[in-house]
Amino acid sequence: MLFSIMRSEWFKLQKSKVSSIIMLGPALGFIMGYLNNEPLQAQQINGWFIMFMYNSLVYGLLFLPLMTGVLAGTICRYEHQAGGWKQLLSMPVTRNKVFIAKYLILILLVLLIQFLYFSAMFVAGILKGIPDPFPLEIALKSILGGWIATFPLLALQLWMSIMWKSFAAPFTVNVIFTLPSIMAVNSETFGPIYPWAQPFLMMHNFTDNMDTLFYVPAEQVLTIVGGSFLLFFIGGLIYFRRKELF
Amino acid sequence: MEFIVQTNNLTKRFGKHTAVSAINLKIRKGEVYGFLGPNGAGKSTTIRMLLGLMKPTYGSIRIFNEDLNKNRIKILKQVGSLVENPSYYPHLTAYENLEALRKILGAPKSRIEEVLAIVRLSDVANKKVKSFSLGMKQRLGIAAALLHSPKLLILDEPTNGLDPNGIIEMRNLIRRLPKEYDMTVLISSHILSEIDQIATSVGVISKGSLIFQGPIEEMRKKANPKIRITVNEPQLAYQSLLANGIQVDSQNQHLYLSEQTDNEVAKAVKCLIKNDFSVYRVEEEKQSLEDIFLQMTKEGNLQ
Amino acid sequence: MIGKLLQADFIKIKRKGFWLLSFLGAFGVVGLQIVNYSLRYDWLIQQSDDKWLYYLYNVHSFTAMALVLGIVILTSLIASVEDETNAWKQLIALPVSKMTVYLSKFTVLATLLFISSTLLAIFTFSYGLFLDLGEPVPYIEILKFSFYPYCASLPILAFHLWIATVSRNQGIPITFGVIGCIATYLAYVLPDWVIWKWPTLMNDWNDPLMNVWLGIGFGILLYFIGMFDFIRRDVK
Repeated sequence: MLFSIMRSEWFKLQKSKVSSIIMLGPALGFIMGYLNNEPLQAQQINGWFIMFMYNSLVYGLLFLPLMTGVLAGTICRYEHQAGGWKQLLSMPVTRNKVFIAKYLILILLVLLIQFLYFSAMFVAGILKGIPDPFPLEIALKSILGGWIATFPLLALQLWMSIMWKSFAAPFTVNVIFTLPSIMAVNSETFGPIYPWAQPFLMMHNFTDNMDTLFYVPAEQVLTIVGGSFLLFFIGGLIYFRRKELF
Repeated sequence: MEFIVQTNNLTKRFGKHTAVSAINLKIRKGEVYGFLGPNGAGKSTTIRMLLGLMKPTYGSIRIFNEDLNKNRIKILKQVGSLVENPSYYPHLTAYENLEALRKILGAPKSRIEEVLAIVRLSDVANKKVKSFSLGMKQRLGIAAALLHSPKLLILDEPTNGLDPNGIIEMRNLIRRLPKEYDMTVLISSHILSEIDQIATSVGVISKGSLIFQGPIEEMRKKANPKIRITVNEPQLAYQSLLANGIQVDSQNQHLYLSEQTDNEVAKAVKCLIKNDFSVYRVEEEKQSLEDIFLQMTKEGNLQ
Repeated sequence: MIGKLLQADFIKIKRKGFWLLSFLGAFGVVGLQIVNYSLRYDWLIQQSDDKWLYYLYNVHSFTAMALVLGIVILTSLIASVEDETNAWKQLIALPVSKMTVYLSKFTVLATLLFISSTLLAIFTFSYGLFLDLGEPVPYIEILKFSFYPYCASLPILAFHLWIATVSRNQGIPITFGVIGCIATYLAYVLPDWVIWKWPTLMNDWNDPLMNVWLGIGFGILLYFIGMFDFIRRDVK
């Protein structure tokens, strides 16, 4: 049943021009990668590393966290119009499953964006003629790391988007939490414990330690990402289960 | 004769689709004009054009004998309207909703209480509209339309979503308006029976074209009354009548007289009794307005 | 006419968080510096001889982005007040010109952002005093850093009011907002003609006043483009 709700969600999303939203990530990766004027060739370090690093400053720090709000808003928009929630929930589905289906679609969309973003950078790098071998392992680490780091953000944004009809209100919450990460990532005490800084930290490959699973310690992933995920996911689910629909 | 609303070949196209096609509405002062048609026939599009919400592709609109295109604001000062679902600001109270509109319309402040009383919402004036039932929201929409004591009231499907009581109430209210407040009312509906009892004139629209316009009595005349006779042996009686030179039809065990003059009816009854049939009923069967309406819109669709 | 519409619009924005957001925007920008200076006061205070100017630059590093995102949120919010029950049709069926309806919305938002900029000046000044950054207090600079970005962001306000009022899906203006926010963040690499760069007050001439005049000029231009498009369209 979960799968059929997800298919229905996917169908509704396709009608909401979600593909143009998805393409923004790769477009950003390509443009920034291609226009980057830093010398990407003939350096001590792999040219791809430099491209990843520069791009993650924008993509991981601002774009990805802000886009979680846009995606969550989009997946709830059609339910808020003309009593969509009512109709959806009067079908033989449970609220848990509807919430989980929407959430799963969201994380799959982000995973897709992550892969497309790195593919776009790959194309940009080839066009620019980066001579070094493409560091597939590093790229995969960033793709998956950044992806996992958006789990709690997506859960909170789904919660907020279910709560408010307007697109602007949940987006405001997103902005209020995302902007401070620009400062948080500069702080060794706050950066690691600030959930909205995690997509950047887990994609920013500026580290010597290449042996660990991600660029941040596993405890940090578990406690900060895992902890905030549980908080927001359970909070959102409880809210949704109790929400009165009109 | 003074027309309050007059349109000339009013047409609206959306791309290739023609939603409203060369409509000539004529609404007289003091009328309650019922604007009838099935859903999607072009009623709302026409009404949106009358209010300047949409620009006609072709044709012109005159309201109070002024060109809507040139004097839109002057005209709208005397027009109250409710288009489709009621619009309101859910986070504001009923009073605040009307106050926001009153500021723009420049009506006296006391008018808010008056219109709230007219639609019987005075008790909930300070409640947020969010918590209102559909009927209450609809009534608030009417209150908003009455706020500046308009000379022309345009109501698009005002009874949508109302319960039977609400519909009766709305009807009584609309019926009062022309007499008590010197208003002209344009009310649209897809259900004839709703308008039947309050409208003085009707316009019927189907697939974007106006297929009938005139006094409601004229529409009733289109109803083809028949005399139906019920007897014990319909088949035999049918043959007997024909044999006696009386034009008659037989349908569903009933006899229908083609001629309806008193003389013809008397002749037929006398003939039946003479031939020893038991006459159970002699009645006039009227086609209901609903049937006429359906028949008209069907014909409209054939064109 | 415009006066009445403004009064009505100020009633409509009640309880929707407009005033709170205007306060939060200004407070957030200075608040981030409160956190910053609380955490590493000793280090920050030694970075420059002109402690006030250094502090103002720190505050300013968030002003442009807060302004851009604030505009995105406020324009989308004011459009959604009318969108929610499609009150546009009720509003435009009143004896008002669509031009005035649009002007009123713009004026409400310009006023809220002006209040926010004024609050920014007050908060910047107050926390600066608290930090004891020495004499003389650069009053003129504080005002410049608070109101120049405001003027320079007028084209963005005009642009966003336009797309928020004509979009049926508020996801569109919000997505543009994300792109705009990124453009502002990347202002230092972007050419001068990108309007999202202007609130940062950066330009090739090193003359912030340039952005103010550009902002006002293009703000008016974009305002008229948006307004005429709004008038031209059939009501939602």
